Amino acid sequence: MPHARRIPVVKRSLGSWILDGNLPWQGLLLAVIGLFIATRVLPLEMQKRIVNEAIGRREVDLLLVYCGTYLAAVVLASACKYGIQVIETLIAQRTLARMRRALLEHALRLPLSFFRENPPGSVVNAVVNELAVPSNFVGAAVSTPLSNLLTLLAFAGYLLWLNPLLAVISLATYPLAMIVLPLLQRGANRANQKRVDLSRTFAGRIAEAFTGIHEIHGHAAFGVEQKRFEDLIERLRKVRIVWGLFRYGVKSANNFFTSLGPFVVFLLGGWLTIRGQLELGALVAFLSAQEKLYDPWKELIEFYQVYQDGKVTYRRTMEFFDVEAPVAAAPPDRPPLQLDGRLEVRHLDFLTETGLRLLQDIRLSLRPGEHLALVGFSGSGKSTLALCLAQLHAVAEGRIFLGGHDIARLSKRDIAANLGLVSQHPFLFEGTLRDNLLYACEALEAAAPRPSLDDVIAVLHQTGLFADVLQFGLNTPLDPRRHAAIGPGLIRVRRKFQEKYGARFAEVVEFFDASAYLEHSSIAENLLFGTAQRPEFEPARLAANDWMLDFLNREGLLHRLVNIGIRLARQTVDILGNLPAERVFFAQSPMSPEELPRFRRTLERLRRRSPEEPPSREETLALLELALRFTPGVHKTLELGEELRGRLLTARANLRRALAAEQPQAVAFHDAEAVLPFQPILKNILFGNTPPAPPKVQEEMLQTVIQLLIEKDLLEAIVGIGLEANVGSHGEKLSGGQQQKLAIARVLLKSPRILILDEATSALDNRSQARIQNLLETRWKGRCTVVAVVHRLDIVRHYDRIAVMKAGKIVEIGSWQELMERKGALYELAGKR
Amino acid sequence: MNSPASDDPVGGESSEYEENLEILRQIDFFSGFPLESLKVFAYLGSRRRFRAGEFLFEQGEEDASAFAVIGGRLRLERQSDGPPQTIRFYGPGDFIGGLSLLCECRRLYSLRAEERTVCFVLDQEKFAKALEQFPAQIPRLLQTVVQSIIRWEEDFLTEMTEACGRCLPRLGVSLL
Repeated sequence: MPHARRIPVVKRSLGSWILDGNLPWQGLLLAVIGLFIATRVLPLEMQKRIVNEAIGRREVDLLLVYCGTYLAAVVLASACKYGIQVIETLIAQRTLARMRRALLEHALRLPLSFFRENPPGSVVNAVVNELAVPSNFVGAAVSTPLSNLLTLLAFAGYLLWLNPLLAVISLATYPLAMIVLPLLQRGANRANQKRVDLSRTFAGRIAEAFTGIHEIHGHAAFGVEQKRFEDLIERLRKVRIVWGLFRYGVKSANNFFTSLGPFVVFLLGGWLTIRGQLELGALVAFLSAQEKLYDPWKELIEFYQVYQDGKVTYRRTMEFFDVEAPVAAAPPDRPPLQLDGRLEVRHLDFLTETGLRLLQDIRLSLRPGEHLALVGFSGSGKSTLALCLAQLHAVAEGRIFLGGHDIARLSKRDIAANLGLVSQHPFLFEGTLRDNLLYACEALEAAAPRPSLDDVIAVLHQTGLFADVLQFGLNTPLDPRRHAAIGPGLIRVRRKFQEKYGARFAEVVEFFDASAYLEHSSIAENLLFGTAQRPEFEPARLAANDWMLDFLNREGLLHRLVNIGIRLARQTVDILGNLPAERVFFAQSPMSPEELPRFRRTLERLRRRSPEEPPSREETLALLELALRFTPGVHKTLELGEELRGRLLTARANLRRALAAEQPQAVAFHDAEAVLPFQPILKNILFGNTPPAPPKVQEEMLQTVIQLLIEKDLLEAIVGIGLEANVGSHGEKLSGGQQQKLAIARVLLKSPRILILDEATSALDNRSQARIQNLLETRWKGRCTVVAVVHRLDIVRHYDRIAVMKAGKIVEIGSWQELMERKGALYELAGKR
Repeated sequence: MNSPASDDPVGGESSEYEENLEILRQIDFFSGFPLESLKVFAYLGSRRRFRAGEFLFEQGEEDASAFAVIGGRLRLERQSDGPPQTIRFYGPGDFIGGLSLLCECRRLYSLRAEERTVCFVLDQEKFAKALEQFPAQIPRLLQTVVQSIIRWEEDFLTEMTEACGRCLPRLGVSLL
């Protein structure tokens, strides 16, 4: 597509897509259409011959031959029609994909100002919904007019051949239609144009509302939003009705004109036949050919509508995106430049779209490796300057030079290969930690080597993200297949931990011991002493498992557990019955607030019933479920006696035997020498429960585990697993601090020569902030030019130079020492005056 | 509880919750509360074990928990300029920090476990949440608090006035 490449997609005409890249398919279409036309005319001739020759002369052989030919033609015509539609669909879908690709490629490169003006929803609507109509037109653009026109001409020719006079008169309605229909279609087009614009606004508004859904909930602004939608919904409704009225107007008018045809044929043809001037067979053929004119004509009119809708939609969509990207995405004919770290700003001014001057006459010059802090009151233009330096804002006047090159002439990729930007509110994409970490490097493709796991780990350490990633790894459920390689190592760590540190951490880890009752596991988990491999053996579903009920009954435990359920229900209703359904009250309860009313009713029924009358099956199961949830370490209202603990332990052993015999593979029993499938890796190492403990002790335990993982050479593997953790949409599963650390790490990974930090550490705690600051000073000073927008003055001391900004200007610049001695703006900002 | 021992399905002794309830009923600070609310406090509180030397809270720390000692021994200290000075010891049955259930404030003392100690701990957040459910009890609670401050000063005046000397002008916390 060299031709198409040179013209930007938004400038291309709709017609240019018809042949571009579709030539072989359109050629194939032509061949099929030729065959199709022949197969449609042939039956007409057969009809005439059947009536005139076979029936007229009473020749059965001829009848069979003509009917056979007729059948063959009809079958072939259907096959051809199907083939045409398949090829049309292929072309339409190929075109849709190519339009989307080209439009997205264009849209991604548009300047940020475009996205500030147009909400993301309208962009989404344009790419996702609106392109389908024009691409359908492209699919049908050759075949539909050609096949139908040819069919029309063939039929018309045949009619003329049969009887010129009759043909001319019966065809006279078509030119009439061609005058009236476009008038109606023009009305439809106007409505469609409005519809496209309104749909875009509507989609934009919806996307905006849902992006800010927390604000809507926070202010309970449901009514306000509804009202904002109401107007658009109403306008869209009206315009769609108008559009529909015109469209159906076109169809109905067309129907009317085409049904006038037979009327004329009957009147005139009947008269001619009665007078003997027309054979009856010819009249039959004429009538059926006349009727057959209707289909191709209808399709032509429909195609005309598709063309008009497609044209309008396409033009509207392309006009919307017709904004020029200010700089090229990549240099066309060379690899990205390798710049040195010099940075120079000459007389830079920046104006907003509304003409507000945010930066005025900024002058700066930094040597490679020099570190500059930008400070000042909010609104002084610090962030704007930072974004100008990163080429995200187009400057109004003045120039910025990176490594001696004017950035207005550098492509985006030249900038990205040399400059790293960490913004105040970094954006993380749905995907794994690793995807997000490597994002900046992958963007450079061949221009930068892909970082190794060692590089990644080094950066994780530097940014203080290592512990977070490790924690993610330790919390990942162990998949026996995917994580098979680390299984044996984990068991070794487990053994060592128990042997060496078991006694020391006895308070924070409750080790799994087949002969001991687990205080921090539920009764169900205590009975199973393993991980369910089948859903019906999940602890929460045991009460609904008939096999299990039977087992508990055999053990003589069913009745007792139900009684425990009654007691728990009674206590919980007694204590929490009148409290609101808040987490703080129900955190230590085996019952959820939603379940409480049901249990209250059950207790009420039990109280009224005589003691001999047992609870219903449904009640029994609910009470059993409650009892099976009971966990001594969490629920403090009951104390399990020694005798009952003993009974439950015996049942555990019996259950194991019974399961092995009757339900093998239902439960993977806890085995000190095997992994716990689908349990967190940390639990696999500790082989036990972790009851709540003071943070200090937990930290100590975690450090011990890490030490052991290092000894057994497993740490990297766990960090690798942690890197596969999903950060969620917008990185929602990470804290604000973790998001910032990740944003810094992903930029450091590409080792830029120039680093722009726009309040990049604002969400970090003091310790993490100090760590990043220390990293900048020790590892990056002299190696990487840094421009940092900083809010907190206590971290700017060690910057080579500090520029104080006020109302869009740099009012003073110098080292901390110099500026403090000068007692100017920084001195004032630091609150010394 | 209300079920007789004969159909006790658990076969255990009294539960932690029942013990907590018993402890609360012995504490003056809670004397004004009806059983219904004491049950909720007993339910929301937790039992914590402290190792010898472990701090329950430290001087200067913002903290809001009350402690009822169940077993063990605690040392209350205050540090001004020199080494920390021991103020007194607490043992089983003592209750510390009722005022901090009313607001989170800066600790003027440090409390440290002398030996392995078990306490019933109630924190301010849970207490406040529960108190919201029993608003009628708030005046009674304030009365109890004020009375105990007055009683404290009265005892002080009776026992310590002569030894007090220079601190006489600072007396009068009950006049706040």
